[in-house]
Formats: sequence, C-alpha cells, structure tokens
Amino acid sequence: MKSYVLVTGATGGLGKAFVAECASRGWDLCLTDLREHALEALAAGTERMYNVHVLTRAGDLTDAASREALWRYVHDSGTRFHMLINVAGTDFEGGFVDRHLEELRTILRLNIEGTVEMTHRVLAYRDRTRPLRIINVSSLAGFYPMPLKAVYAASKRFLLDFSVALNQELRAGDVTVTALCPAGMPTTPDCVQKIQAQGLMGQMTTMNVGKVAHETINAALAGRSIVVPGWVNQIISSLGGLLPAPVVAAVIERRWRRARASLTPGGARPLAVRAPESV
Amino acid sequence: MVVTGATSGIGRAATAALAARGAHVLGVGRSLERCADAEQAIREIAPDATVSFLLADLASQGQIRDLAGAIVEHVADQGGGKLDVLVNNAGTVSSWYTATEDGYELTFAVNHLAAFLLTHELLPLLAAAPAARVVTVGSASHRRTRIHWSDIMLRRGYHVLRAYKQSKLANVLFSAEFNRRVARTSPVRAYVADPGLVNTEIGLKGTQGLARMVWGRRRLDGVAPIDGAKTVVFLAADSSVEGSEHLYWKDCRPLQPSRYALREDEAARLWELSARLCGMEA
Repeated sequence: MKSYVLVTGATGGLGKAFVAECASRGWDLCLTDLREHALEALAAGTERMYNVHVLTRAGDLTDAASREALWRYVHDSGTRFHMLINVAGTDFEGGFVDRHLEELRTILRLNIEGTVEMTHRVLAYRDRTRPLRIINVSSLAGFYPMPLKAVYAASKRFLLDFSVALNQELRAGDVTVTALCPAGMPTTPDCVQKIQAQGLMGQMTTMNVGKVAHETINAALAGRSIVVPGWVNQIISSLGGLLPAPVVAAVIERRWRRARASLTPGGARPLAVRAPESV
Repeated sequence: MVVTGATSGIGRAATAALAARGAHVLGVGRSLERCADAEQAIREIAPDATVSFLLADLASQGQIRDLAGAIVEHVADQGGGKLDVLVNNAGTVSSWYTATEDGYELTFAVNHLAAFLLTHELLPLLAAAPAARVVTVGSASHRRTRIHWSDIMLRRGYHVLRAYKQSKLANVLFSAEFNRRVARTSPVRAYVADPGLVNTEIGLKGTQGLARMVWGRRRLDGVAPIDGAKTVVFLAADSSVEGSEHLYWKDCRPLQPSRYALREDEAARLWELSARLCGMEA
C-alpha cells in the first residue's frame, strides 16, 4: 500500500529540510501549508531531485473548515500515513500588552489546536502495516518561561509535555511521538538577523536545518521522546531544570530585551500599557 | 546583451561598461529599488546608453522562466530576435544551509542551476545570432574542490566555503560541457571569466559571524568592481575572442582551470543532473 509522510508548514525553512530528508530516504510525501504556489514549486523540485511522489494540499490550519477539507481529501483519496511532522507554528514577538488579541489567538490555534487536531486525526489514517511516527516541533523555548515570547513559549511547553505523554500512552499501539526542541534556526533573513543580535550565544546555539531534520528523523525512528539538537542546546535545556523558573525567566528577559534593542532603531522602549480592547 | 546580477558589484560595472560601448543591455536584478538605482547611475555615466532592467529572483526557477519569456519578448521587439551575449554573473554566498522555493540549496541554485536554466531558455535567441557568447563569471575558488555527488545540496554537511567552491566548479564544468554539446549544432560558445579578488558585497548579503567578518576584511584587498569586470567585458565584446578555443580567462588572457574542471565524465554527469533538476526533458 502506498504510504506517505504528512508534513505541515512544509514550505518554511525547517519544513523544507524535513521534506528533503524524508524524500532522500525514498518516502513519498503529502505537504500542506498556506501558500499553494510555494507548495507546488517545492513538490516539483522534490520529485525531480529525489524521484518520490509528492502530493500537496494548501490550507489554513487555524481554520476548522480548512482542516476539515484537508481530512476529507485524505479520506476520499484513500491516503495513508506512516509519519506526521507537525512543523506549522508561529509567533508574534514582543510585549504581551502590545499584541492584538487576534495574534494571540493565532498562536494558540496554530501551535496548540492545529497540532493536537492533526495528531488526533492522523491516527485514523495510519498505515497499519508499520509503526506510526509523529514528530511535533516544539522548541528550546518549551523548557523555560520566556518573557516577550510568553504565549509562544508556553505553547511549545504544551507541545513538549503533550508529546512526551503521548509517546508513553500510544507506545503499545506501535505509535511513537517525538518532540523536537531546537534553538532559533537560520531559516529566513529575519531569523538570521535575530541570531546575529544574540552575539556569541546565538552563533553557538545555531545549527543548519538539514542536520536538524536528519537527526530528528533518526530519533523518531528510534521512538525517542525528545530531541534537542546541538550539545550547547542540550546543556541549556538541562540547566533550566536546576534553577527556579522565575529566576530563569528574569535572566532570559534581560538577554532578550538586549537582543531586541540591538535590532530596533532607537533601542528598547518601555512597555506601553494600552487601554483594554473590546472583546 | 543580458547581464544577471546587474544591480551591484561586477554585474553592475559590466553593464555600465558594455552600455557605454553602445551595446543594448538588459540588466537583471531582484530588487526594484536597486534596479532603478543602477539604471540611474549608468545613465549618469553614459546618457546615451540603451539599458533597461528586468526583475527576477534567480533562486526561483519559475521566475527564471518568466524572465526568459520577458527577454524573448524584449529582444524580438527591439533586438531583431537575436541575443549576442548572455553574462551569467549573479552569484551568492550563504553562511547557513538555505533552500529555495523549489527545495534546492541556495548557492547551488543561484550560482549554477540558474545559469544552466537561463542559458537553455535563451538558447534559441543565442543561436539566432551570428556568433553568440555565454560568459559565466567563475572564480579561482573552483580549484581544490570536487562535486559532492552523495549530497550535492550539502544538506547534511553544509559549509559556506564548500558550497561556494562547488558552485564555482560547476560553472566551469557547465561551460565546458556546453561547448562540447552545443558546438555541434550552433555557433554559440561559452566562456568563463575569472575576475580575481574583487571588492563587492557578495560576502555580506547572506552571511553572518566569521564568514561575514572574513569577507569584510578580505574584500579590502580586492580590486574595484570595474576592474573585476574587465575580463567579463572583454569576453562579451572583444572581437579577438571570436572562435577562440580557450574556455577559462583571467585578466583578459586564457588561463588553465583545474584538472577536475576539465573532466568530461564529471561534466556530463553534472549536465544530466542539472537538466533533470531544471525540469528539462532528456
């Protein structure tokens, strides 16, 4: 039976790295993301390079109707999966009070709701002749409360705990769940700039996405719960457990604010307190 | 004449020099702003120049095809349907592994595949000219490296220099194979221009950290873009080049490229792969 790897957020930097890694192993792919044009270009290039079959389906994972349409397509086409890689996720960085409510909702809907629903749904469409591997992209941020990225970091903590728990719960059913927790990755010029702004630490925690994808797939095939790529990041992730959370939060806030100040012209500005929005 | 990467560095200098000599030049750039800026600067030096700019990001094969279509239209309109010179100059360097929208590694896609695809798309126009030339801007970096067949996109073993050197080697292999294949059926010839060390921004746009710092320092030892463009302009416009058997040139004189770069088996293999990656039928 033809069996696919489902990848969400496939056209982003990390998504493309996962696509290439899976394709290089001879696996057929089913890709989803917002932009149809980008999906088609990626599918064509991947098919040519690796000689695998690539299906695409554009959609918005924050929209229930769009998610429904995706799974109806899966159902109608008889597609089955042996792996699901939940890459799709987002953040709107900066002070909590400065965020629009819609931005916060998007983080929750995409990072948490979207991932949970995709994970739940794929179980009904798995290829039963082999183990089902699920990879959830969490973040190093999932190990700490992060001021100025509070909702994002908390959503990644959600994915971390969710994945570790499910990996235990579903083990008997030949399903494994792996949480990938990378540091910031150099995927867009914006990301590269942010890494640059963090100075030496930024350089030392950064890894090429190609390598991250390879390591993660290997870990998933071995059924590991958590992947933290890079030895520096592994140290950072374990340090978080040694100090009280509020202390860690304070250290992170100082570092992050300094990094952001170096990016914005005129330096950091004090958090403005706005009148509450109408709900 | 078409010049890619025409809004800065060697490309911009070559476009200006060729336009000043009376050639009708189409420059290609990614940014509307920088195209306008380059066009204005050239008109200031050479007010009678016939120069226009087309917008395309050579990291995208879709955009390269659209660009070729636009060039064909323009040349049919104003150039008698023939293209005398294509200068494959656009090049990039990236500190980190980056994939294009087609899923290909950026350095390989822009420095090599873009030149390969664009040349093929424009071949009918080039073949219509009496003795057209394809000038690809190479580099001494092509020496002491090889094509990494087992991981040509360097997904798992990416290093900024390895990616750049491989792409420059690909430039020479492509040009050599082009001459072997195309020479039988048309008068179009490919040449590689080695500009030497030139003070441009190539090492600043996609890099950070050590690579960026190193280029920032090294570029100061380089010549100005106008001097780096000398060999490009020579190969594009000088009549003494006509019918020359020499592939690789530096300082307007033939130079021997690396032995690997002249290997016919490697060149053929790269050609087949590149044709497949650009979606061309066998």
